[in-house]
Amino acid sequence: MTMMPRSSREPMPTPPERSVGRLVFAWLFVSLPLAWGVVQTLIKSMALFH
Amino acid sequence: MFDVLDRQHSVARPGYNRWLVPPAALAIHLCIGQVYGFSVFKLPMTKLLGITHSVPGDWTQSQLAVIFSVAIFFLGLSAALFGKWVEREGPRKAMFAAASCFGGGFLVASLGVELHQLWLVYFGYGVLGGIGLGIGYISPVSTLVKWFPDRPGMATGMAIMGFGGGAMIGSPLAVMLMKFYSTPTSVGVVETMLTMGTIYFLFMMFGVFTVRVPTEGWKPVGYVPPTEARALVTTANVTADNAWKTRSFWLLWVILCFNVTAGIGILEQASPMIQEMLLVPAATKGIDPANTVAMAQATAPLAAVAGGFVGLLSLFNMLGRFFWSSISDYIGRKNVYFIYLLLGPLLYFMIPLTGRMGNTALFVGVCVLILTMYGGGFATIPAYLRDLFGTMQVGAIHGRLITSWSVAGVLGPFLVNGIRDYQIAHGAIGVERYAPTMYLMCGLLLIAALCNYLVGPVDSKYHVRDTGYAPNFEPQLKEK
Repeated sequence: MTMMPRSSREPMPTPPERSVGRLVFAWLFVSLPLAWGVVQTLIKSMALFH
Repeated sequence: MFDVLDRQHSVARPGYNRWLVPPAALAIHLCIGQVYGFSVFKLPMTKLLGITHSVPGDWTQSQLAVIFSVAIFFLGLSAALFGKWVEREGPRKAMFAAASCFGGGFLVASLGVELHQLWLVYFGYGVLGGIGLGIGYISPVSTLVKWFPDRPGMATGMAIMGFGGGAMIGSPLAVMLMKFYSTPTSVGVVETMLTMGTIYFLFMMFGVFTVRVPTEGWKPVGYVPPTEARALVTTANVTADNAWKTRSFWLLWVILCFNVTAGIGILEQASPMIQEMLLVPAATKGIDPANTVAMAQATAPLAAVAGGFVGLLSLFNMLGRFFWSSISDYIGRKNVYFIYLLLGPLLYFMIPLTGRMGNTALFVGVCVLILTMYGGGFATIPAYLRDLFGTMQVGAIHGRLITSWSVAGVLGPFLVNGIRDYQIAHGAIGVERYAPTMYLMCGLLLIAALCNYLVGPVDSKYHVRDTGYAPNFEPQLKEK
C-alpha cells in the first residue's frame, strides 16, 4: 500500500483522544475523597447503633 | 492568557469519553458542597481571642450563623444573575470563576479571622464564596444534559450528589486541619481556611481542565433522539428570559421551595429532635428528674448518638440525589415528584407516631427515607427543566429556579425554629414540640403535589424558532 501524498491544503485530522487511562484516573480522583468522607460519616453514625 | 477557558477551546475532540464529564462536575460539586459543613468552624470561631473559652470581644454563635445564610443567599442570587453568562461562556470559564470565588472566599475569610474583622468574613465566605457556590452549582448542568441526552436525570443527579457529599469531606477535613494547626495561642482557623481554600481551588481546577462541551449535533452512539415531543418532554427550546414567563416555571419554583423547606424541617432540628423525642426518654427512664447528677450522666453520651444520626441523614441525602434522579429517567420526572410529594407527607405524619411509639429504628428509617427525597428533589429538577424547556439554556433556567432554594433557606429555619420555640414556651415536651412542624410540612408537600399536578407543557409561543444548539446565538421567538 503506497502512502498518498497529503496536500498542503488538506487539514490535519484531529487525533482521537485515548481517554481510558484518564477516565480511570478521573473517577479515582473524585471517588477517593468521597469514599473517605463516607467512611468518616459511617464511623460517626456507628454511635447511633451502639 | 485566559483563552484556554473559552468555550471554543473546550470542545471535545473525537474519541473523548463522555464519562469524563461527571467526574469533572463532581470535582466542582464535592468542593462547593462544603458549605453544608461550615458549622464545624462556628465553635472554634467563638474562641478566637479566648482560645479555650469565649471572652468578651469574641464573636457569638448567632453572629457566625449569618455567614451561612449570606452564602446561601448569594448562591441563589448569583445562579440567577450569572446563568446566561455561564451558558454563553461555557462550563470551563464558569468552573474557573467558581473555583476562584470559592477558593478566594476562603482566603479572604481567613484574612478576616486573622484581623478579627467579621465583615471581612461575611464578605469572603458569604459574598465571594456564595457567588462561587452559585456559579459552580449550575456550571456543569447544561453540559451534562447535552452529553447525556439519553440519561439526563442520572447525569445531573451524579453531579448534584457531589453537593450532598461535600460536607462529608469538608467537615472532617476542617476538624482534622484545625486539630493539626491549633497551638496554645491559636485555634487554627486561619491556617485551616488558607489550606482548604488552596486545596479546593486546585481540586476544582481538575474539573476546569477535564470538562468538555460536545460538538454541535453530537449524540451518543445508538441514541435516536425523539422526533416527536411527548406530553412533558419537549423537542423545542425556551430561553431563560421566556422560561420565567411560563406557569410551569413558577409551579416548579414552588415545588422546589416547599420540598426544600420540608427537608429543612428535619435537617434543622435533627439532633434535638431525636434526643428529645426518643433518646432522652429512653435513657432517663426510671431516673428521678430531680436527681440532676444522674440525669446528666444518663444524657451525656446522647449528643454523640444524635451526631451519628445527623451523619446518616447527610449520607442518605447524598444517595437519594443519585438514586431518585436516575429512576426519573425511566418513570418520568412528574411521577418521581409525585412520589416525593405524596409519600413525603405520609412519612412526615409518621414521625410523631414513631416518637410516641418510642421506636427509634422506625424513626431513623422514616427520616432517612425523607432525606433521600429531599436530595432527590434537588437532583431531579435540572432534568425536569430540560424536559419542559429544552437543552439550550437549561443551566440558566436552573440558575433562576434555585432562587427558591434561597427563599426556602430563610423560610425553613424561620418556620421550624419559630414553631419549636412557640411549643416550648407553651410547655410542650418531647414529641409535641415537633409534631406541629411535621404536620405543617405535610401541608406544604401536598400543596407542592398539587403544583406538580398542574405542571404542563410550555406553550409553543415561547419556543425558540431555531431549535439548533447555538450558545452565542441570541435566539428569536416564534412569531405569535
